Amino acid sequence: MTNTRIFGYADPLAARAGSRVDFMISVEGRDEVEARLVRVIHGDENPEGPGYLEEAVDIDLPKVLKVKRQFTQVGSFARADDPEGRLDGLQNFTLFAHVFPTLPKAERQQVLGRWDIEGSRGFGLGIDPDGHVAMWLGDGAGVDEIRTEITLVPRCWYFVAASYDAASKEAQLHVINCVSQWNSRISTVVPFEADSWIKETLRHGPGATAGAASFKLASATACNPVRGHYGAFLFNGKIDRSGVYSRPLSRAEVMALAKGDAPAKDGLLAYWDPTANLAREGVGDTIPDTGPHGLHMQGINRPVRCMTGFNWRGEESYRLAPETFGGVHYHDDAMTDCAWDVTHSLTLPDDLKSGVYCLKVSGGGGEDSIPFIVRPKTSKAKLAFLLPTFTYLAYGNEHLSYEAPIAQAITAHTPVIVAEDLEYKKLEEFGLSTYDHHTDGAGCCYSSWKRPIITLRPRYRLPAMNFPWALPADLSLVWWLEHAGYDYDLITDHDLHAEGLDCLKPYTCVMNGTHPEYYSEEMMDATEAYLRQGGRVMYLGGNGYYWVTGTRSGDPACIEVRKLDSGSRAWQAEPGEGYLASTGQRSGLWRNRGRAPQKIVGLGFTTEGMDASEPFERMPDSFHRRVSWIFDGLGDEDLIGDFGLAGGGAGGIELDRYDLGLGTPPHTMLMASTIGHSDNYPLVSEEVTYAFPGRGGTQDAQVRGDMIYFTTPRHGACFAAGSIAWSQALPCKDGENNVARIMRNVLNAFLKEGDLPGAAYKGDEKLWR
Amino acid sequence: MTEKKFYEIGQRPSEVILHPAGDAPLHRRRLPFTRRHWFKWRSRLNAKTLEQERMLADKRPLWWALGLLALALAAPFLSNPMLTIAAIFCIFSAINVLWTLIIGTAGIFSLATLAIVGIGAYVSAALNVYLGLPWPLMFVAGGLAGLVIGGFLALPSTRLDGLYYALLTMGFAEICRVFVQQLKPLGPQNGSINNVASFIPSDWQLQRPGLLLGFAGAFVILLLALLTFRVVNSERLGMLLQTAREDEAFAEATGIDYRRARLHVFLISSAGLGVIGAFYAQFYGSISPQVFSLDQLMLLFAMIVIGGLGRSEGAVIGTAIVVLIDKGFLNLGPIRILLVAAIMLGVTLFLHNGLAGAREQFRGWRRRKQSEARARRTEKGGEVMPEEAIEIADKQEIYYRRFQKRLRDRLKALITPELIEEHRQNPLGHHSDALSRVLNHFRRAEVADKYAIMRQPEAFHAYKIVAFSGTRGAPPRLVDDRTYHDINEAYHAVFLLRVNDLMEA
Repeated sequence: MTNTRIFGYADPLAARAGSRVDFMISVEGRDEVEARLVRVIHGDENPEGPGYLEEAVDIDLPKVLKVKRQFTQVGSFARADDPEGRLDGLQNFTLFAHVFPTLPKAERQQVLGRWDIEGSRGFGLGIDPDGHVAMWLGDGAGVDEIRTEITLVPRCWYFVAASYDAASKEAQLHVINCVSQWNSRISTVVPFEADSWIKETLRHGPGATAGAASFKLASATACNPVRGHYGAFLFNGKIDRSGVYSRPLSRAEVMALAKGDAPAKDGLLAYWDPTANLAREGVGDTIPDTGPHGLHMQGINRPVRCMTGFNWRGEESYRLAPETFGGVHYHDDAMTDCAWDVTHSLTLPDDLKSGVYCLKVSGGGGEDSIPFIVRPKTSKAKLAFLLPTFTYLAYGNEHLSYEAPIAQAITAHTPVIVAEDLEYKKLEEFGLSTYDHHTDGAGCCYSSWKRPIITLRPRYRLPAMNFPWALPADLSLVWWLEHAGYDYDLITDHDLHAEGLDCLKPYTCVMNGTHPEYYSEEMMDATEAYLRQGGRVMYLGGNGYYWVTGTRSGDPACIEVRKLDSGSRAWQAEPGEGYLASTGQRSGLWRNRGRAPQKIVGLGFTTEGMDASEPFERMPDSFHRRVSWIFDGLGDEDLIGDFGLAGGGAGGIELDRYDLGLGTPPHTMLMASTIGHSDNYPLVSEEVTYAFPGRGGTQDAQVRGDMIYFTTPRHGACFAAGSIAWSQALPCKDGENNVARIMRNVLNAFLKEGDLPGAAYKGDEKLWR
Repeated sequence: MTEKKFYEIGQRPSEVILHPAGDAPLHRRRLPFTRRHWFKWRSRLNAKTLEQERMLADKRPLWWALGLLALALAAPFLSNPMLTIAAIFCIFSAINVLWTLIIGTAGIFSLATLAIVGIGAYVSAALNVYLGLPWPLMFVAGGLAGLVIGGFLALPSTRLDGLYYALLTMGFAEICRVFVQQLKPLGPQNGSINNVASFIPSDWQLQRPGLLLGFAGAFVILLLALLTFRVVNSERLGMLLQTAREDEAFAEATGIDYRRARLHVFLISSAGLGVIGAFYAQFYGSISPQVFSLDQLMLLFAMIVIGGLGRSEGAVIGTAIVVLIDKGFLNLGPIRILLVAAIMLGVTLFLHNGLAGAREQFRGWRRRKQSEARARRTEKGGEVMPEEAIEIADKQEIYYRRFQKRLRDRLKALITPELIEEHRQNPLGHHSDALSRVLNHFRRAEVADKYAIMRQPEAFHAYKIVAFSGTRGAPPRLVDDRTYHDINEAYHAVFLLRVNDLMEA
């Protein structure tokens, strides 16, 4: 690898022409880099297609950008708003919290406190490197510690409290086991009695930290001369209610707090109650202090909210019993915002063509392509290509090949990696995807664009299956639209989510990307309304409209999803933790909330496999005049798409199926289906009620991808080809093939307003055969 | 399948186990002026019962207290000769404990120990006899003399290495002996100074009360020596030197001035030895050049070797054995010296670090036996033996191992040239039942050491084979340097590697 490392991201990821995009760039090894702007037309370098194509864009951009090394805070924690330093320099105090530790580790973990690591000043309560509960104190001259002799059992609720009395120098530490029938990994049948109560006279007391530290939950304050202050001693696990008293508490008072009683007012400095601001519509990063001074906590890197607390008793949702959902889950590897300084702000010209752009920054042998999507200032074309940016984020920087043992069995591939993967994986500071697990094994439910994302680079191929995925794959469709001469506007999931139907209304036809998997309620509603009002949708993907996804209002950069119940899920939310903190909605599959994708576009997820893609074969319905125009130029028994850049076929990767039972419109024509899948294409788990052998492609008729067509009111229609590999077949044979032919037939018809071809053939068939 | 024998395992606890109540305060008390606790406790959740257990992690303080208490209690009941032997034991133990500080803690191989004791004794005795220094001040004089001589002897210690320094210090002892013997004023007494005043009143000399008082004094000297050892060895100085012993360069790089620390330890010990010298002169009421003699030094050396270098308990145990033989079996005559030599020989032949290290050595031997037996009985990736199962927390892993082993045995039978050819022709897509089973097994393996393909920057189709680390942030390793120019060839090469691994497992 080179000595110069360049990483960057664009904010926002998608912008209108005429607006501004900020680029955050961090460079090690140089203080300036060259920059140029390109529009990317095709990403996949596979020699069977057109290869990587970009065109230089002449724009007002300095040739050379001044850059610096920027640092990323990895790990989630919360910091108290305490400008008056009410929690600083305490001499007599009690710290307490309900905690659910998830990962003993070789580093100290601070649950709460105000501890300056470099200066050894302040006080902190947490878990020491040997796994004991400990409180440490320091006045700059010396440090002291009181700790339990027992260690904590991971994933069990405990109450911990530590007090210090400056006059007698006596410290006390209480650990009280709070495992109930409901709240922990193990139940009360386990004969463990992990209570502990330690008294010890210390030699050193706590000192004031002033500006060297702040009061934090799940972290202490470290300092580096180049980087400044940052959070370290990161805690893995949940913290429920916590607080600080300005006096040592008696044992009886400690026991009362452990039971969950409201804290006594006498001497209470702060009481952080995460349940206090849980609203039906979700909750933000603030953990309110209901004590006398209102020293609210602000979460960094999105501590996960709406999680079950120590007093949880099996309610499925925080909406039903918010007082039992005080859990806030902190992770030492969570990262939702690099928060870098802006390196360059680019104002996009008003007439900039809609497209996928990259700011290419290079120097010293290093290079990064920072992608962003440009949408026209006002809608221009009749056709909109809806880029599934929610999906892009969901897969951002995924670690599947590196960490999921099962990934190779799912994809039936040996992964193919490249050097830049290693560079990213070595750093491990640009966060996870919603397919990954945090270090303590919990699934990652947040992903944001405010970080460099390797999977968004246009040439990137997903290692697990060695072909482009998401944005790089969608570029095949962009290339084909250019090639075939269609005028199009790019819009994104984020636009659709923010604007709803208004985003789609200007267009006669809207086409989906290869994998529109992550959908919010707003997006579902808008698509449904668009079709209802005469819009035309070309659903050209697989496994679409699948996960209930949300973003916090006012913060589109970060998506949230909780994977639960059923479906192809990389992880499983813990019981009770399936509701989105961003919106308050139940997450999981749309299908499980009564909105199977079949109800909107006629198809829904049925199988996935990555070994080889197969062609579609015409079904009898395709010969009906209502739809036969779609097959103009094709032979009756032609295999459709027995070629492609993703698995060598147009039907594969992830496939969607027609199913009347799941809501496919009853008048839908089943025009074609894929054939001949291997057993590496099993029926998806949400279809499996009883498990029995033979649910693979060679034995189960539900393992297939379908091509359908149905009409909607006011000349609306939906053409759906339920396969991720579909669009990646377009660039083959120089863009002139039978998949492209079908696309042209449909597009030409859909872009023409008024009656659709074949609309007249609605009479009863009078047959002589 | 080889014949396997399953041995029963399991043991009753062999230690005293406390079960502290979680709802009563546990006071953890500290040694005054330190952050140390009186006892080092070890608590755990017993993996077999999940009960909270509390045990003494370091039982040595307990053994010390019991041993010293037994000696102190037994003394009044000992016969006069045995009481003298006990007192001599205490004195030599004290000397050896301080010597251990020099050799073990500071790592300076000095043989001038008795010389310093002698000089302390001579200086303090001379001051008493010729200048009338009262006996309590003799300890101060002896200590100062020890400190000064220690200071001189310390200087070359940073210059000379091990053996040379040992020879130098031995020579120093010899010079002292010759010097004292040839000193004119002492000529009439053959180099001795007699009639030294003592903490034992003169009319008690050689009487029962005098012997008891002598023992008590020696016992206090031993306690003081042990305290010195504890404070020097386990506190700041000892910690610094501990780091230096592990890695001198590292210690220096982190700003630890271990040479200075060594010097300090040497000086402290020398002063202590000087004090013991003063005590020695008072205890016997005289001092003779015999104290500088080589045979005394060798006897002292025998004590340390038998007990074990570097530990206070070694110094005391070795002293007890040698003193008992040397002074207790006087009627055996010269044979007792042979006996000491024989024990010394035996210890050096069979023990790595004297008697004090025997327990650790035994444990090491048992561990070695255990791992030998493991290696003999455990097949890589095969059945888990009962003695291995206790180390696996997730018992499901044990079933996985058994299942995987049997699965591999079945899959091995499926590997044929035809199957390999089938894969070569078509690494992806439809496969025969046999190939599907083999591939699925390969694909489901754990990530650590799992093969992957790495695209090379020179061309779209240029691949090398690597294996994942299985650890976040740790890069894969290159498996072989060959470049494949067709992805199917690379897939097949990975397949062949996996088949090879399967057949060898």
